[in-house]
Amino acid sequence: MSGRLDGGAGKALSLWVLKRALRSFALLVGASFLIYATLRTAPGNMVDLILGINGTEASRAALRAEFGLDQGIVMGYLEWGMRALTGDLGRSVTFSPGDEVASVAAGAFLITLALSLASLLASVLLALALALALGKPQPKQDLLLTPLSFLNATPSFVFAVALTHAINAFIYMQLQGGGRIGPAWYPIPTYQAISDSLAPFSFAMISIALGDGLFMDLFNALRAELRAVGGAQYMNAVRAKGAPTRPHMVKNMVVPTLSIFTARLPLVLSAVVVVEYIFTLDGSGYLLLEAARVRDVPLVVGVSLFFITAVIVMNLLLDLVKAAVDPREVARVE
Amino acid sequence: MFKQAALRALCCLLMVSFVSPVTAETVFRYPESSKPSSLMPFFVENMSGVRISEFIFESLVTKNKRGDIEGVLAQNWSASPDGQSITFTLKPNIQWHDGRPFSAQDVVFTVLAAQDQGTIFARKAKFRFIRAVQAMGNLQVRFTLAKPFKNPESQFTFKIIPKHAFASTSISRLDRFSKYPVGTGPYKVEKNDLRLIRLVRNPSYWGRAGVDAIEMTHMPDSSAQIQMLSYTGKSAGMQNVIFIPPKSLQRFENSDSVTLEPYHTVSWWYFAFNHKNPALADLSVRKALALALNREELLEAHLGQGDLLSGPFTESSPYYNFDVELREQDVEAATELLDQAGYKMKGGVRAKGSTKLEFDLVINKDLPNCQPLALSVQADLKKIGIKINQKFVDNSLYQERVMKKREFDLTMNIWSFEELEDIFPLFRTGQPQNYISYSNPEVDAKLDASRRERDHKAYKEIMKELHGMLNDDLPYVFLWSLDIYSGLSRQVKNIFIQPYHYYTFFKDWTMP
Repeated sequence: MSGRLDGGAGKALSLWVLKRALRSFALLVGASFLIYATLRTAPGNMVDLILGINGTEASRAALRAEFGLDQGIVMGYLEWGMRALTGDLGRSVTFSPGDEVASVAAGAFLITLALSLASLLASVLLALALALALGKPQPKQDLLLTPLSFLNATPSFVFAVALTHAINAFIYMQLQGGGRIGPAWYPIPTYQAISDSLAPFSFAMISIALGDGLFMDLFNALRAELRAVGGAQYMNAVRAKGAPTRPHMVKNMVVPTLSIFTARLPLVLSAVVVVEYIFTLDGSGYLLLEAARVRDVPLVVGVSLFFITAVIVMNLLLDLVKAAVDPREVARVE
Repeated sequence: MFKQAALRALCCLLMVSFVSPVTAETVFRYPESSKPSSLMPFFVENMSGVRISEFIFESLVTKNKRGDIEGVLAQNWSASPDGQSITFTLKPNIQWHDGRPFSAQDVVFTVLAAQDQGTIFARKAKFRFIRAVQAMGNLQVRFTLAKPFKNPESQFTFKIIPKHAFASTSISRLDRFSKYPVGTGPYKVEKNDLRLIRLVRNPSYWGRAGVDAIEMTHMPDSSAQIQMLSYTGKSAGMQNVIFIPPKSLQRFENSDSVTLEPYHTVSWWYFAFNHKNPALADLSVRKALALALNREELLEAHLGQGDLLSGPFTESSPYYNFDVELREQDVEAATELLDQAGYKMKGGVRAKGSTKLEFDLVINKDLPNCQPLALSVQADLKKIGIKINQKFVDNSLYQERVMKKREFDLTMNIWSFEELEDIFPLFRTGQPQNYISYSNPEVDAKLDASRRERDHKAYKEIMKELHGMLNDDLPYVFLWSLDIYSGLSRQVKNIFIQPYHYYTFFKDWTMP
């Protein structure tokens, strides 16, 4: 196996990357059209929500024109798509009136993505450390793994609620006696912007990393991969040569770990949506649910676009890493 | 030994990082279940918007705590003897939040902008009573009205916006002003994030404001709101939760930190029929439905305390007719009515020919405790052979399906009024708010007479007559008005809650 490419292989890789990028773009267009069309045809709309029972037909028509809802779905999507290509995702209408969707959605998505990646990374590192520490499976390890599995099976939102109560009660006790105040984020769920405090973000990260069975799932997958890599023929050759096995183990664990990481990202993104609510984080989950509630079409499409892009980009990056680590991957995928 | 020392050190560290000295700034925090639709008064379409507007904007006049009209931006006024024109003299030296002087031109601009066809908002009709407006110098403004009013000044409670903040009288709801408005009120917007709106004291305010800053957090989960209130303190938690659900009242009844403040909104619940449905157009069926409902049990089991009503007014309204008797549950009488009307039981549901008494009950999910309420209604009506299919929809879909397209058989909802109940738009044939398609020529005639009447005593008599007529004819089953409680931190003093706008008198509230 080699990470270096000669001229021909380099060209093949470039072509492969281009093909993958084009395929990803087509997927993005298809998914965004589906979301746009679904929202436009779904019952209930923002004009009726705004004008309610008092709107005249003329005022409804004027608002529909102002919000670009007077065009057909295909034309409306094309116009939106052309603007989206220049980075203009329109303006929020009912949830945060007048705000640029691109900036609102990007700000919220950064929080969600950071929370998802941080939670997943924490879970992966913990799982990897535990897998390396425990080594080969032995019956007495069940004494540790069984309670861990039970604890980890707790849904992340239950974990989050329990954590909230525990922290609130702890600080409440500290404050008895008076004369002092708690941290700005106390009691949870006091709203705090991420720039002001990372505490709610950290509590949310802990809840996701340790809930929903994620940690044990990662532990089992990584342990199986470690055993597979450790038992591979080339590792026997490495051992026979008397060379250190760890660098080879680490290199060959990169792809499986990344695969496991990427495969669980959509799952973690969906858990984040609920946990964001509990810790009053203004991430995409909160934004998406609330914007959908008030039928804010531009905002819902914009936020969804960030979600889809994240998953597509993560998959693309995974393919690229796989190809960089093992160029035979290019031929295998093709 | 080492472990104990380490644990102690960790606790100290946590205390140091978590707990800090009390700061001097007084911040009043409250949560809202929904975000204000806008901070621009015209585009305020929900109650959270109505409440926050009270901090930022002011009107020419308002009702004081005794219910009398009092000048806010207006110093005094004089109405013409025929009630068709009025001139306001404005208070001098009032400034907008950005330091620009407030003048009569701003009042004129507000009316012109509201009446501009390009400014589209739901409550545009509220400005139709003004035929013309004219500034007379910087501190006087004269209005000519579309019809005579007995006390015309009472109509001028709308908020005034600054002329200099807009390029024209045609205003879009997407204008930046909707997020960062400029008013003359005691507080100005410092920050408007997705979840949090922070207002700070307006240093150039003409009056006084007792609290340094206000923070409104969007918190859709009512149990989270209650949790925040239970941790209330001068610098932590929430100092006010607008509505305490009945099931949470007990938690605060003997609280050392929270006080429960009752307030009476002018609002009532009703169970509405779609009169386009042939079966529901039959008065016998409507009466049977009304007799089958155990309103007392529905109220106590699901919503707590309140007053059962026999008509479209709350008991505190001057128009409530106490001579009209409440209809109590009487399943036998309901069954007899349906029998007499020819509806016979067939497979558990009554029917007459091809008309089955099976109805869609469409309910807005935002209605408090809607699911258990609907279940109880379903059980009550099943007793007389009426089948109910429950449909819970979100607010947007409810507006479209029930209010606009009128695709429903039955619904439950609440009407809330700013001051006294105006029932004309609800029951007059052809009015937009008469979404149940109710039409009764006698009721129409009375409603028309009420519109013409200028004598308050005579108007009151007409309303009392209408109360009786509507109780007999049942466009709705009138249900109840609720006893509503707010939760407030005991550290907040001088509380006076305005039943509709809520924070009208907030500038008198203090947090010593």
